[in-house]
Amino acid sequence: MSVNEKFSAIRKGLLEFLVLQIIAAEKVYVADILKQLSVTEFATQEGTLYPLLSRLRREGLLDYEWKESEAGPPRKYYELTAKGREQLRETLEYWGQINGTVKKLGQK
Amino acid sequence: MNKVITINLGGSAYQLEEGGYDDLRAYLETAAAKLSGNPDRDEIISDIERAIAEKFRALLASHKTVVETKEVAAVLAQMGPIEAEPGEAAGTSASGAGASSGASGQKTAGEERAAGSGGPPRRLYRIYEGAMISGVCNGIAAYVNIDPTLVRIGFVLLTFFWGMGLLVYVVMAILVPEARSPEEKAAASGFPATAQEFIRRAREGYYEAMKGFPDRKARREWQRRFRQEMRAHADQWRYNWHSYWAEHAPLHPGMGFTLPFLSLLQGVATVLWICAIISLLATGAVFGLALPANVPVWVAALLLLIAYGILVGPLKFARRACYYSLGRPHWAWSLAFLLDAVVWLAVVAALLWLAFHYLPELRDAVHTLPSVAHQAADDIRAWWHGK
Repeated sequence: MSVNEKFSAIRKGLLEFLVLQIIAAEKVYVADILKQLSVTEFATQEGTLYPLLSRLRREGLLDYEWKESEAGPPRKYYELTAKGREQLRETLEYWGQINGTVKKLGQK
Repeated sequence: MNKVITINLGGSAYQLEEGGYDDLRAYLETAAAKLSGNPDRDEIISDIERAIAEKFRALLASHKTVVETKEVAAVLAQMGPIEAEPGEAAGTSASGAGASSGASGQKTAGEERAAGSGGPPRRLYRIYEGAMISGVCNGIAAYVNIDPTLVRIGFVLLTFFWGMGLLVYVVMAILVPEARSPEEKAAASGFPATAQEFIRRAREGYYEAMKGFPDRKARREWQRRFRQEMRAHADQWRYNWHSYWAEHAPLHPGMGFTLPFLSLLQGVATVLWICAIISLLATGAVFGLALPANVPVWVAALLLLIAYGILVGPLKFARRACYYSLGRPHWAWSLAFLLDAVVWLAVVAALLWLAFHYLPELRDAVHTLPSVAHQAADDIRAWWHGK
């Protein structure tokens, strides 16, 4: 089993956190999110992203707004709610702790 | 030569080769099956349809109007398989332990709804189909799920009270967005699948509120007494004003000027108040005056309403006293009344129109207002549930 395969579950879990982080920066629609992720280890597809976004919205972490697009149907632009920002902040903090632990453990 | 099938995706028509159509239908059916335990299933499916539509559109040009089978396959591969979210997965494999896992999926969905976060929210839009004027009444009727005729009658009745109905109507026609996309139209009347859910939640909220007050009778009694007291105060005030103004009323010849002038003042106050509310909702500050950090927006809006009432109250009583000084109910009385209401409405409408045309900030604020108002409503709901 390669490292890449071993980390697939972890990547999957982290995706939610990265999506929140992308949306925190600016109002985006799904193609923007996919494009930003596509150049990273977390490249994903609509089939994964839409159910994820729908759950995050149901949890009250984000909301969307319809915008007309010049080509094609209207698009949903996503943004974080106050609750989403709070969760992102907590996650970043926790991520920092984990990183620290990974580096520190086993050192003398 | 291939057979072509026309389909509707995200509100536009697309022509697909038959093979492509079969692939697309299979993809969407699998998606629906995988999401069968998800409370937002229909919304996710329509999101996916819209994303596919956008990709199809990018493929087409003026000389190319049909999406080929291999292009459909490429688009579907790009979309990737639907991944059910953990805890919402139901029947992830078509042949799997369908019944039991389906049931557990349903249960998680049910639990989530019980937590008060489920179901797409119903939103207020103007609905143009079947509208008499601009769809305001139609939209309200769909929002609260009653007959539009009742709402129209309500507005007409409200118009008899100092033209209030007409004013509210005009303001709503400007502020409330029109439902354009199919999703907005669905949101305007609530998703059919969640109508039941809406009723259930309303009922739950009612019992929840009742639970908060252990002694219902005492609460009712308190409410009743409070209302009675407030009414008595209001009557006393009204009486005092009337008797004062009736005795010291301005002389008759001046009345022609006094009434419209008072109306003008009240109109200006009303417009100021509307602008204050709009600027509060759009920028979180009243005319650049920021709120203290710990005051929520809705409290500020309530304070504004009270301030408006205090400001306008004396004007209103003075005007009413003017009518009274014209004598007991009389044809002149009602004529003055009508004229007054017309002047007031005209002032409000003219000021609103001017503001709308010459203040770009206001126009921007009005455009962001619907989403801000929805956000505020959501916040209040969250606050209520969190309490």
